[in-house]
Amino acid sequence: MNTLRLSWRLLRGGGARGLVGAGLTLAAVAVSTALLLFAVGMNVAFEARADREAWRNPVAAQGTAAVAVQSARPEYVGERIISLVEIAALRPGVAPPPGLARVPAPGEVWMSPALAALARELPRDELSGRFPAGPVRIIGDAGLVHRDELVAVVGRAADDPAMVPPAPSLDRPLNMIPPTPVAGFAGEHGELASGYRILALIATVLVVVPLLVFGGAAARLTVARRDQRLAALRLVGATPGQVVAMTVAEAVVVAGAGALAGLVVYAAAVPLLAHIPIGGGGWFAGDLWPGVLLVAGVLLAVPLLVGLSAAAGLRQVVVSPLGVARRQTPPGMRAIRLVVTLAVLAAAPVVGGIGYGAFVIMLGLGFLSINLAGPWVVGLIGRITTATARGPARLLAGRRLVDDPRAAWRTVSGVALTGFVAGFLGLLSPSGGLMGVRPAGELRLEVPAREVAAVAKAADARLATAGVPATVVVSGPGKDQVDPREKSPAKASEKGTGKAAARLLTAKLERDDPATVDRARTALAGLSPGHSATSPADDGREGGMLLNDVRTGTIVVLTVSFLVAVASAGITAASSILDRRQTYALLRLAGTPLSVLDRARRAETLIPLTVMGGGSVLAGVVCGLPIMAGAVSVTGAVVLVGCVVLGFAGVIGAGALTRPLLRSVTANPAPRPD
Amino acid sequence: MSEGVVLEGRALVKRFGPATALAGVGLRVQRGESVAIMGPSGSGKSTLLHCLAGIMKPDEGEVTLLGQRVDTMRERERSALRRTKFGFLFQFGQLLPELPAVENVALPLMLGGVPRGVAVNQAMAWFGPLGLAGMESRRPGELSGGQAQRVAIARALVTGPAVVFADEPTGALDQATGQATMDLLVEATRGNGASLVLVTHDREVARWCDGLVEVRDGLVVSGTATAGVPR
Repeated sequence: MNTLRLSWRLLRGGGARGLVGAGLTLAAVAVSTALLLFAVGMNVAFEARADREAWRNPVAAQGTAAVAVQSARPEYVGERIISLVEIAALRPGVAPPPGLARVPAPGEVWMSPALAALARELPRDELSGRFPAGPVRIIGDAGLVHRDELVAVVGRAADDPAMVPPAPSLDRPLNMIPPTPVAGFAGEHGELASGYRILALIATVLVVVPLLVFGGAAARLTVARRDQRLAALRLVGATPGQVVAMTVAEAVVVAGAGALAGLVVYAAAVPLLAHIPIGGGGWFAGDLWPGVLLVAGVLLAVPLLVGLSAAAGLRQVVVSPLGVARRQTPPGMRAIRLVVTLAVLAAAPVVGGIGYGAFVIMLGLGFLSINLAGPWVVGLIGRITTATARGPARLLAGRRLVDDPRAAWRTVSGVALTGFVAGFLGLLSPSGGLMGVRPAGELRLEVPAREVAAVAKAADARLATAGVPATVVVSGPGKDQVDPREKSPAKASEKGTGKAAARLLTAKLERDDPATVDRARTALAGLSPGHSATSPADDGREGGMLLNDVRTGTIVVLTVSFLVAVASAGITAASSILDRRQTYALLRLAGTPLSVLDRARRAETLIPLTVMGGGSVLAGVVCGLPIMAGAVSVTGAVVLVGCVVLGFAGVIGAGALTRPLLRSVTANPAPRPD
Repeated sequence: MSEGVVLEGRALVKRFGPATALAGVGLRVQRGESVAIMGPSGSGKSTLLHCLAGIMKPDEGEVTLLGQRVDTMRERERSALRRTKFGFLFQFGQLLPELPAVENVALPLMLGGVPRGVAVNQAMAWFGPLGLAGMESRRPGELSGGQAQRVAIARALVTGPAVVFADEPTGALDQATGQATMDLLVEATRGNGASLVLVTHDREVARWCDGLVEVRDGLVVSGTATAGVPR
């Protein structure tokens, strides 16, 4: 208790400057906690999405336990994907899927609110004509991945042709689930959802490693304020235990307040974060809330980590009361750091192949090892800067980088880690290059082989009635085998071996504007039960969406990294001013212009940020260029450049914000022996 | 202004709120002369040094350097003046911990626009005469208190200032080291044709100077050399 009281007195008695140090620590911990909660919340949110979507991935019933038959496939409207589920109840009283009040009766249609709105908005022959007529019921949030999702559930009779387990299909896409007898609608996590969860985990590791480094640095900021005073306490006889206890107590109190502030910041930011579009839409605010247990865990873990970090920062004081009094040439970073990093990076592809868990552990180890090598590289940059410096500002910056490369690395590590991925993915265009150019005006429909002639004829008639000029041709199993000589719009021709159970019917539209394509899709709906007409462009939509999402995620992670860099730059700048306020004051007193000190401080952050952060983004862009095949995403480029420019501006701004502090501590020239 | 007068303060008054730190002090320093300003804590001796060095503006009175008014200059001009015409030496904390000794000495030259290579070479030349040979690449934390003060002396003199201001330069040193440092400071200052204004509360230290001025309650109470100029 006495320790706590004395710590509290030390904190309060530190004066304005002492409180500035504590305030900065509090702010840094708040930023770290908010971002940490975001990282945790992100994983919880993907988990929640996967849970809500699970009912659409049926698990086949064993034996005679089936209560319903369920199928799922993608439909398309414009460039958006509709998740279409068909359900046939095999007995009454079956528990409905999440979000539905009951299992749909045959002919009954349930839609997500977004799809229902779109169906009302678009002409009937472009969308709603594809579904059975009648009142549309609305699916609740419990059955939706997100509020903007397009989902339709159509009730079928058990003997409906659409619900009969199909003949072998032609190139069935992964997202098409054939009619499956189910014992209930619990389902299982889909492959795509699992993929997103892995990506979220990777993003978390990317965010958390720099955050932990930054949080630790913030803790030491408190110690930096106190170390000389605590050394004095050691000199008058305080035991190492007492010194450690006081330090930890103070750091934990400040960090506890910071963690609570971070929780408030995160809670306030959730409505904004919920707008980040992933998987075609934003988030339910509740998804991003990690839950009481996880929040409590973070609120306990953060002060604990900060306390441990503070105690570690005090080792020297504890070992020797004179430990902090003298400043010596820092021991050179050993090249072994680089060797360890290279070894881990070399082992990553081998170990990463074992499984997801090993992959994530290896990824974490990889980042930690890069963190080992990072300061070494910063030190090297510092030595080069020093060797090539002509003016005092660059010389001071270079020497400071050599003196404390870890401080600079803390600022740039996040950007350096994520910059490569952001640069690599930032410019990729989902519509071209990676995916190739795919025609949107070529609708293909799988049909049973024995009915192909009749269906082709019907398709031709329906398209004509809908006013969609098109040529309908039929090809055999496997890839498209459309004969360009078959031009007659009135007659469908038949090609292929004739032995397969299914054939592919292709309607080549003369126009491929979205409205025409949707009218054609609607016209062809129901022609081949259990199948939708899709274009090659549609086949690439899910992949395109995934690429877009990975890109969005990367930009989010890069933004977080820049936020950490901005906060870290501010903290480092302020801490550096407070640490050497006396030297700065005396330098100014001796006539050193404030602008020289400012330039030195700016260069100290900007040189490593440009070399390591900018270099990593640029390396990513250069490595990504060969697979872009000339199709650069303009939006992606603008977002990436915007993010990098804003990030750099933020880092410079954070440094500039501390200028008044520099001015104030150098305004009083009298040397203070505190 | 008399011939040979480098620095002069006349009827200097400086107030901090209700407290009067200087109540009309005058002081004159000749070329190459060393003057010690003595007085108890709170007597106003450091304030007098700050006003003479252009760090503070006096509320009343005037300060001239080589006939040029210092107290009417703007901060930017006074800053440039401090960089080029004055050298400073303090009790502690004036060396940048991350710079090796030679770069600490070269820094004022570089701030004045001297190319780094030239500045470092000029700085190196100070190490032998000050007994610091071989310590050029050591950092302040690797030097003893006396060695660090000698590096600071070199830094104060490297730009060839007209006046060196020293505020308790031996305050953090033991007696023997303090004596040796004073010896070096006075000799090096004189050898470079600079004047020295030194603030101390130690009479032994003050003895190294040509003149002694005692300040009490913001007033000069005695002057034993040409320096003392009761207002």
